[in-house]
Amino acid sequence: MSDALIRAKRLSVGFPIGNGLFRKDILKAVNNVSVTIEKGSFFGLVGESGSGKTTLGRALLKAVPITEGEARYTDGEVDLDIATLEGAALKDYRKRAQLIFQDPYAALSPRMTVRDIIAEPLEVMKITKTREETDARVREIAAKCRLNLEHLRRFPHAFSGGQRQRISIARALVSGPQFIVADESVAALDVSIQADVLNLLKQIQSDMGLTFMFISHDLSVVAHTCDHVAVMYLGRLVETAPTRQLFAQPRHPYTKALFSAIPSLDPDDRGRAQKLTGEIPSPTNQPSGCKFHTRCPFAIERCITEEPELESDGSGHDVSCHRWRELIGVEPAI
Amino acid sequence: MSTLIEVENLTLQFKTDEGLVTAVDNVSFSLARGEVMGLVGESGSGKSVTAKALMHLNASNAVYSPESKITLHTEDGPVDVLSLRKPSDLKVVRGGAVSMIFQEPMASFAPAMTVGKQMIEQLQLHSSMTKSEARELSIEMLDRVGISDAGRRIDQYAFELSGGMRQRAMIAMALSTKPKLLIADEPTTALDVTIQAQVIDLMKDLVDEFHMGIIFITHDLGVVAQTADRVNVMYLGRLIEEGPVRSVIRTPKHPYTQGLIAALPKLDDLGAALTPVPGDIPSPLERPSGCVFHTRCGQIVSDACSSERPVEHQIDETHKTACHIYAEAAT
Amino acid sequence: MSTTSAPTAVTQDQKAKEAYFTASQGQLIWARFKKQKAAMVAAVVLVILILSGLFAPFLSPYDPTIAGRDKDYTNGAPQIPQFCDKNGCSMRPFIHGVTRERSLATNFRWVTKIDEDTRLNLQFFVKGDSYKLFGFIPGSIHLFGVDEGKIHLFGTDEDGQDIFSRTLHAIWTSLRVGAIGVFIAFFMALIIGGVAGYYGGWIDSVIQMITDAVRTVPAIPLFMAIAAFMPPELSSEARFFYISLILGLIGWPTLARRVRTHLLTERNQEYVLAAQLCGAPAGHVIRRHLLPSFTSYIIVDLVISFPYMVLSETALSFIGLGLKDPVSSLGVMLQKATNADVLLNYQWYFIPVVFFIVLVMSFVFVGDGLRDAADPYSDKNK
Repeated sequence: MSDALIRAKRLSVGFPIGNGLFRKDILKAVNNVSVTIEKGSFFGLVGESGSGKTTLGRALLKAVPITEGEARYTDGEVDLDIATLEGAALKDYRKRAQLIFQDPYAALSPRMTVRDIIAEPLEVMKITKTREETDARVREIAAKCRLNLEHLRRFPHAFSGGQRQRISIARALVSGPQFIVADESVAALDVSIQADVLNLLKQIQSDMGLTFMFISHDLSVVAHTCDHVAVMYLGRLVETAPTRQLFAQPRHPYTKALFSAIPSLDPDDRGRAQKLTGEIPSPTNQPSGCKFHTRCPFAIERCITEEPELESDGSGHDVSCHRWRELIGVEPAI
Repeated sequence: MSTLIEVENLTLQFKTDEGLVTAVDNVSFSLARGEVMGLVGESGSGKSVTAKALMHLNASNAVYSPESKITLHTEDGPVDVLSLRKPSDLKVVRGGAVSMIFQEPMASFAPAMTVGKQMIEQLQLHSSMTKSEARELSIEMLDRVGISDAGRRIDQYAFELSGGMRQRAMIAMALSTKPKLLIADEPTTALDVTIQAQVIDLMKDLVDEFHMGIIFITHDLGVVAQTADRVNVMYLGRLIEEGPVRSVIRTPKHPYTQGLIAALPKLDDLGAALTPVPGDIPSPLERPSGCVFHTRCGQIVSDACSSERPVEHQIDETHKTACHIYAEAAT
Repeated sequence: MSTTSAPTAVTQDQKAKEAYFTASQGQLIWARFKKQKAAMVAAVVLVILILSGLFAPFLSPYDPTIAGRDKDYTNGAPQIPQFCDKNGCSMRPFIHGVTRERSLATNFRWVTKIDEDTRLNLQFFVKGDSYKLFGFIPGSIHLFGVDEGKIHLFGTDEDGQDIFSRTLHAIWTSLRVGAIGVFIAFFMALIIGGVAGYYGGWIDSVIQMITDAVRTVPAIPLFMAIAAFMPPELSSEARFFYISLILGLIGWPTLARRVRTHLLTERNQEYVLAAQLCGAPAGHVIRRHLLPSFTSYIIVDLVISFPYMVLSETALSFIGLGLKDPVSSLGVMLQKATNADVLLNYQWYFIPVVFFIVLVMSFVFVGDGLRDAADPYSDKNK
């Protein structure tokens, strides 16, 4: 039962930049990324701002065009090539793959009632035939997302952030998708609410057998929810592994630095963190070789000239670093 | 340690279309020189409003109760902050003895001015420095907060700097007047983790060096654990727990603080279930009666929770909390 | 007492809350608008003015054109109905009759003498000049009049036309010119701004250049050029139509820019992306999301740009390029109040000016009030 639902190979997404009529540059937001997402898994995608994680998520939903490489969606009923989807096949894919947004305020139209918001995908995709059928489906999903059915007549302004996020989740689920991309879906929520939404996502995933791609900048949230994690830096995939393995033994210096940068909840554990110097370079002006070499404490000549490939050691723990083998167990000393 | 600032019975309401909204409800605390206090709370807890009150900086529709009193102890004697009216008197709490850094550094730099011009202007406003002295000091400060090539950066505009650099420049600007009290309002929230770690480090160094008092406002308990000596936890405008950082984080006494810590995903135990605090934060228009937390509390002890405001209970010499659980135990 | 009222108070409170929670954006805007006193007062005044313009033929006692003139009372002072005079009081308001003479002794000016012994009683629903209400309902009943002679609440002008009647008709004319102008401007703005905002990219750039070019054309010289083109023998209706057209053609760029900006921001909202990710076609997105998000803004924009149309019409007519005398418009009325003779002797010519100011001000206040009420950020910065 380890079939891949999403299989992306050497995927790149570029955007033309420059506002002028004539000048066009290409910004490679996602560069040569290969990921495989197992059916029924909770796949975490971690990175800082500018890492391309949101773009990768949207590319897999065909919300932004894939410029190079290939991505396949296989769920037993259909086998789709995401990069070239169009027409009826694209409509079909929309039913199968959905997005949950970050900002629970911007994601809901202030002019529609909760019922209309959740019903919109059903109406657009013509999934239900009659109004009664639509209502029944909306109520079923709303109940699953622990929304008060009495509140369906209300408008979004009546709700707090956590409730809005549950509405947003209900809308994403109503068409019965197999694959859900949750883009920073708890980042805007307060800590006391965040856990509630995370638990809801987990429960829905196991109840309905869905596959999640959970995009987040927060490692501790990812560690708690996901069973497989991929780390991105400047449009590249730098490391991917099952969660426990990744957290027990990170291999890429960037992943190690990310872990140690999380502020510890232990007041006596101060100053242990190994800090990275510098900041993530601009995606329009990328460094040569390994994209991380400008901040890496272990960079050698080879890192500047040659870009590392994602290496697999067979255990599902892949890393793209020239020196990962020699660095096992070595903490970055700065 | 001598007291730097004292806040007594601070109550602050905002006049809105829907009536008076309570933002801060009878909050008292004090801060000693060189002490770092973490002010923790979620949205609507009134933590930012409290901090702004220290600089007498809240919007014009803010109403302070007559009992509210904020005393700042400077070298020239105590200053009653809330009685200050004239801009020349307010200087002492706005950039003089008190400085503030914000979550969004872009907002505190004027877009049409270079970083240096603003720093120099501020220095000249608060001291009798000449322009060249002020410029020299500004470059020194920028250098001190880890901005490389400070002599060149000083003539750049804020939008030309990266996010982390901007935050550093703001810290440099806030510290250049050598304030006695620094208020940091979510200074790392908008930053990436790796940059956040750098900024936290920088702030720790600066505390040692300048020996000022810091009020560190954040929603992130991890950041507090890393920076603060003492923690104040706020919920819906009330101070519900106060104590040394170790004691509050390791043995939280108030059910809300306990809930917050339980809700936090922890890296050392990946399998542990996350326990959310039930319910939602009530809207400011629907302030619960009695203990403001009783609508979400799992440890209700009596009817008093929903009808009586809990009094502060001293757990030990330094750790106190406002919860009916301890009042029951005491009687 | 308190025990019985408490639960109902709670349910009342609950109901009010539920009403707020289920209120649509329109209802919320209206609720916020109602809270603004100045805007509400202005709205009431505006409605009264519009209604009085709409029913001008019925409300005014006489025909506003030369047909309704009172040749025996040219440049006559306002006549205020009263209940009492030195001969005692009456139940019915009346005005005094007048006699006028002109001689060497009066510098050959007409001098009016009020004859305090004749009373002209005010009558309601009198038959008078025939008119067509809304342009097609014929009638001849006027709200008020006097039994013999004529009543001129605001006095008369040099032809003896009743200024009160003219003012009411002028309001209507100006509103109509404004409405047509705004409608044309809005129609163009919606199409041009809509195309620019929805497609973006180079189409947007090109349209923006054209818009900017139109915006740089100075209005007054353009008006003068067009006025010079307009043959003087044009009927007042044709003139009226041309003026509206010109105002519309000049007014669209500002509106188009706002439509475009709004579309650009709205198009990138996450809920629009959510709809697109359901495979919603462009038509659905425009119908369900973009247009509804628009209506409140558009209404606000229209109300705000309306007084400028009225102002432009007035300004045009005032400098003699717009509507001309036989037509009653506020600009025409304003123009009549400009000569020195009026300042010295016939101050009542200024009464329409007051109406003009009140009309423009109430539009501005209502527009501002609506904008504040519709602005979604107004309740976020609390």
